[in-house]
Amino acid sequence: MIDWNNFLWFALPASACWLTAGSLIYSKKSKLKALSHIIMLAGIAIFSAFIIGFWISSERPPMRTMGETRLWYSFFLALVGYIAFLRWKYAWLLSFSSVVAVVFVMINILKPEIHSKNLMPALQSPWFVPHVVSYILSYAMLGAATIASIIQLRIIGKGKNSDKAIFELTDNLVYVGFGFLVLGMLMGAVWAKEAWGHYWEWDPKETWAFITTLGYLAYIHIRLQHKKHERLALWLLPLSFILLLITWIGVNYLPSAQGSVHVY
Amino acid sequence: MDRDKAKHTIWQHPWGYPESVAIVIGIVIVGFLLQLTIGSFNFYFLTSPVNLIIVSIIVLLCSLSTFFFKNKFVQWFSGVSFSVTLILTLLALCIIMGLTPQNPQLTPHETHNVFIRLGFDQMTHSWAFILVYFATVLSLGSLIARRLRVFNIRDYGFYMNHLGLWVVFVATGFGYADMERYIMHVSEGSTEWRVYDHEGNVKELPIAIQLNDFDMEEYPPKLTVINRQTGEPQPVGKADYYQIDTKSRDGILFGWNIHLEEYIHQAVRSSDSTYKEVPMPGATPAARIIATNKKTGEQKSGWVCGGNQAQLYMTLPIEENFTIVMTQTEPKRFISDVVVYTPDGTTAEALIEVNKPLQIGSWSVYQYGYDNAAGRLSSYSSFELVYDPWKNGVYLGFLLIALGTVAMIWNGKAIRKKYEQKNKLKQN
Repeated sequence: MIDWNNFLWFALPASACWLTAGSLIYSKKSKLKALSHIIMLAGIAIFSAFIIGFWISSERPPMRTMGETRLWYSFFLALVGYIAFLRWKYAWLLSFSSVVAVVFVMINILKPEIHSKNLMPALQSPWFVPHVVSYILSYAMLGAATIASIIQLRIIGKGKNSDKAIFELTDNLVYVGFGFLVLGMLMGAVWAKEAWGHYWEWDPKETWAFITTLGYLAYIHIRLQHKKHERLALWLLPLSFILLLITWIGVNYLPSAQGSVHVY
Repeated sequence: MDRDKAKHTIWQHPWGYPESVAIVIGIVIVGFLLQLTIGSFNFYFLTSPVNLIIVSIIVLLCSLSTFFFKNKFVQWFSGVSFSVTLILTLLALCIIMGLTPQNPQLTPHETHNVFIRLGFDQMTHSWAFILVYFATVLSLGSLIARRLRVFNIRDYGFYMNHLGLWVVFVATGFGYADMERYIMHVSEGSTEWRVYDHEGNVKELPIAIQLNDFDMEEYPPKLTVINRQTGEPQPVGKADYYQIDTKSRDGILFGWNIHLEEYIHQAVRSSDSTYKEVPMPGATPAARIIATNKKTGEQKSGWVCGGNQAQLYMTLPIEENFTIVMTQTEPKRFISDVVVYTPDGTTAEALIEVNKPLQIGSWSVYQYGYDNAAGRLSSYSSFELVYDPWKNGVYLGFLLIALGTVAMIWNGKAIRKKYEQKNKLKQN
């Protein structure tokens, strides 16, 4: 029986692993550097063990409550951060995603928001799991892109030319993150059509998801003209990430969101 | 280069951001003026065949770009600066919509609130929104048409994304007026064809539904301690609940250890106030528990039952003012066993439940509701009938976008750029 009561026993070792790996990666000794890979993976394994056990014992995918989506956010941040690090070799990417993953673990320890394990009929859909996973994956990617954009803005702010490699990384992260954002949205629309007969009802969460998508869509299009408007494009990323956070968390507190199907 | 820039004044081709911003602001102002003078856009103006005629005109206009693909106006109209400006304007309008509570009813316009007069409380029906949307459909359409002229199979991701989005915009926006939705209530054992529209008017439909049976499955309920006077779950504001689960039989409620001895999902009360399993419509969940006070060790045991329309509830008193009760059950699934008749003589038998609608021609039949007070004992089931002739079009658009998006995730931008450079070399 694995539930929130056991969370601490998985969360603390996993967090310790991620933070250690995120620090060791800067080491000049190659053995320590290699060790950081193993520690990072060990952290991911420990954390997935909790998610799998929790899934099995609650007899439903743990994706319904705020606390549960944060669980996935931590997991994917660590995983995607590690994969992106393997691909692009930026040490800061690994430490950053580790730190943010641990922050979300801490929020879950201090404010777990435990809810019942009963899934209402409207949520019992094959679209439920991919819809949420796709969004969380996208949020992790776009979070990483935001950090990259801030680093790039600081480089430009110092009067230097923009770093080509960072722009390449940022563009790719946005493309992949945007792709998952759109897939999550499409799956949500098909699900809504199957459950209620509407694809899209301009429910506040939907409206804000649309706004977020438009922000990243604007970035992608501005970046098609490579050298032009670099600053505007870069500023769009932290701005769009704020819109994303409003969609994810802020909507629950908006006066316009009373009666939304997405408030939980 | 710099000298060119200095010479280049606004409205001189090639157009860029200044011209795009000026024109889109103009579109929005026209929208506001229309809103102030004639009120919200009436979507029912677009009922078939008007929408079909307009869509044909749009397709014709857009395909002009195929022939005039080198025209400077066409290149600007379908280009990056205009599209970015349209995207950011839609973003701004949607932020207003996201912050203003949206009012689904059409309100009279004798109000002095400038927000309402500009249509911000019904953004998707406001002229500014509609005109920007319309401009987006035209710009996107002419971009696709222009790029088809210089077709390159390597741009498959581009074509699928943009064509898919265009199809979705057209099919949802222009198809909206053709959608019909009704609610139908059917009693068990009878056949119904009368429905209610959203204003409560009765209408007779060409399709009829016969309800053979309505059934419902429920989750095991929870236990909690309530104050017998106020009925409030304890501790107030942060109540303890124990989710009944035969695999996890222990819980803590308000300082009492609870142990689940026996749980019967479909129970009927016997004359001696015990419960036994009887699977029948009036049955209700019942649990036999032992409660032990954590401080004093005092024990109470007995049956607890939430009751329903057919049976009384049963509680287990633990202290003078407090008693253990069972919560109302939450539905797991509700299922309607139906036969649907259509005018052409075809019939369809189906089990309709939430997330599993019945599709019959352009009609979809959704499980909508039941008698909430009666729960499993509900003698009727309600359905929502939706007529949506544009559904296949929208799904085609979704499929195209999904495929284009997968291409985007797979390729990222780096690879695209290489292709673009190659293309440029070829064109030059």
